[in-house]
Order: sequence, then C-alpha cells, then structure tokens
Amino acid sequence: MSRITRRQFGGVFAVGCAGLLSGVREGRAATTHQVEIKSFHFDPERLVIKAGDTVEWINHDIAPHTATADDKSWDTKTLRKNKSGSITFADTGTQTYYCRFHRKMVGEIIIE
Amino acid sequence: MRHPILSLALVPMLFSAPAVAADAMNDLQIAHAAYTAGDIDIRYAHLALALSDNADVRDFANTMVRDHAAVNDAAIALVTELKVTPEDNALSQALVKGAADKRAELMSLEGEAFDCAYATNELAYHQVVNKTIAESFLPAVTVAPLKDLLEDALATFIQHEGHAEHMVAQLGCAS
Repeated sequence: MSRITRRQFGGVFAVGCAGLLSGVREGRAATTHQVEIKSFHFDPERLVIKAGDTVEWINHDIAPHTATADDKSWDTKTLRKNKSGSITFADTGTQTYYCRFHRKMVGEIIIE
Repeated sequence: MRHPILSLALVPMLFSAPAVAADAMNDLQIAHAAYTAGDIDIRYAHLALALSDNADVRDFANTMVRDHAAVNDAAIALVTELKVTPEDNALSQALVKGAADKRAELMSLEGEAFDCAYATNELAYHQVVNKTIAESFLPAVTVAPLKDLLEDALATFIQHEGHAEHMVAQLGCAS
C-alpha cells in the first residue's frame, strides 16, 4: 500500500517517511515528479516512477480538480487553481486514477 | 473598459428569454452578464439537487455548483482587484427573466421528466453560453485579465457542455 501525503495551499502538511526510506534502501534519493492539471487533462497522463518517489499534482484550471485512486486508496482532496497536492508511493505496481469532479480525466502511475 | 462593440444578436431563444434588442456591451456589462449566466446555472443546479434522485443528474449538478462558483469567485476577485463595478444590462436582465421562467417550468416537473428537462436545458444553455463567450464576449472584451478569465471559463464550460450531452444520452431523453 502506498504511503499517502497531501500538500495543499503551498504548505507541507505531512510527509510520509515510508517512501523516503524505500528510496534510501535502494541507494537513491527519492524524487518528486510533477503532473500538471490543465485544460481538464493530467499532463503527463502516464508517469513512470520509482518506489519511494512522490507525485505532485498542480492544478492550473479555474475549475477545482482532484487526483483520486480508482480504488480510493489515496486522494489529493480538492485542488483549487494554482494549488497542489502530493502523494508518495512506497510500493511497486500500477496506480490508475481520475478526477472525482470530472470523470473523463484519468491518469496512470507506474511504480517500478 | 468601455468599448461598446458587442452585438447581442446571439442572445437566443434557448435562454428562454424575450427578444433582446441588438445593442452594444462594454467590458463591465460583459462581466456582469457572464457572472449572471454562471449564477443562473448554479441556481438550476440547486434545483436539481433538491428535486432529483438520479445519481448522474446530482453528480452533474454538484459539478455545476462547484465549477461555476469557482469561476464567479475569480470574477469577484478580479473586479475587486480592478476596483470596478460590473454594470447591469439588457442581456443580464433577459437572462434573469428567462431563467425565472425556466425554473418555474422545471419546478412543475418530477422524476424522469424533471431529469430530462434539466439535462436538456443544461445542454442547450451551455451551447448558447459557450457560443456567446466565444463569438461575442471574447472578441469584444478589452481588458486582458477579463479576457483571460473568460477564456478559462470557456474551457470549463465546454467540458460542461460535453458532460451535459453525455447526461442527456444516458438518460435517454427524447430530443
């Protein structure tokens, strides 16, 4: 299961350590990847990361969005314009997600 | 913000509004009309949330409340920053009158009849709003931040139009 963190309104509320430890165990520093939300799309829609890395979603649309796991195991909560939310993925696998407010918006994260 | 170049010829029957004289609008009037159009759709959505038990309809209505509120909040922030006051105008008044008539019609319905009437109105409303923004408001507006806001709003409303079209199809509403 992925360790979940969320960052909104420019501040870090919580940072999970499981992902960082995972990266350390592999002898590499964990990386933060950015997914831009613009024009009702996740960009990139498909992202390949390493276990322990963090994905940060930044909403550039005027409409609020979320990034929410299809299985509901994680959720950035509502991201208003120019706000961001982060999730750290500790385990390998594939995570598919969508925007709870606009169901056509979908994305995929491959965790290696 | 006072370049009267907009024709209201596009204001349509789809707003359920009376005929509006071809007139010109300045930036402050465009801002007022755009805000009014959003506020009207929020009110339609609240009506749907009060009257519909259909999950898809309620989901759409919640999205309308959330997205149109975001756009209108941004509009309020902009006029506050610019220290200007939007101007009421014939288009805004026609929109309000048309919406009152449409709400009265919707409130007389229930069940699937309401859901279809709401869905088809949402589709028609967004089609007309989007056409008006794209073909009248955007070419006419002269203040860059307002133009940016209208472009962002249009991108959002185009998604709503697609969502409404899908909702109408899902409900199996007769055209």
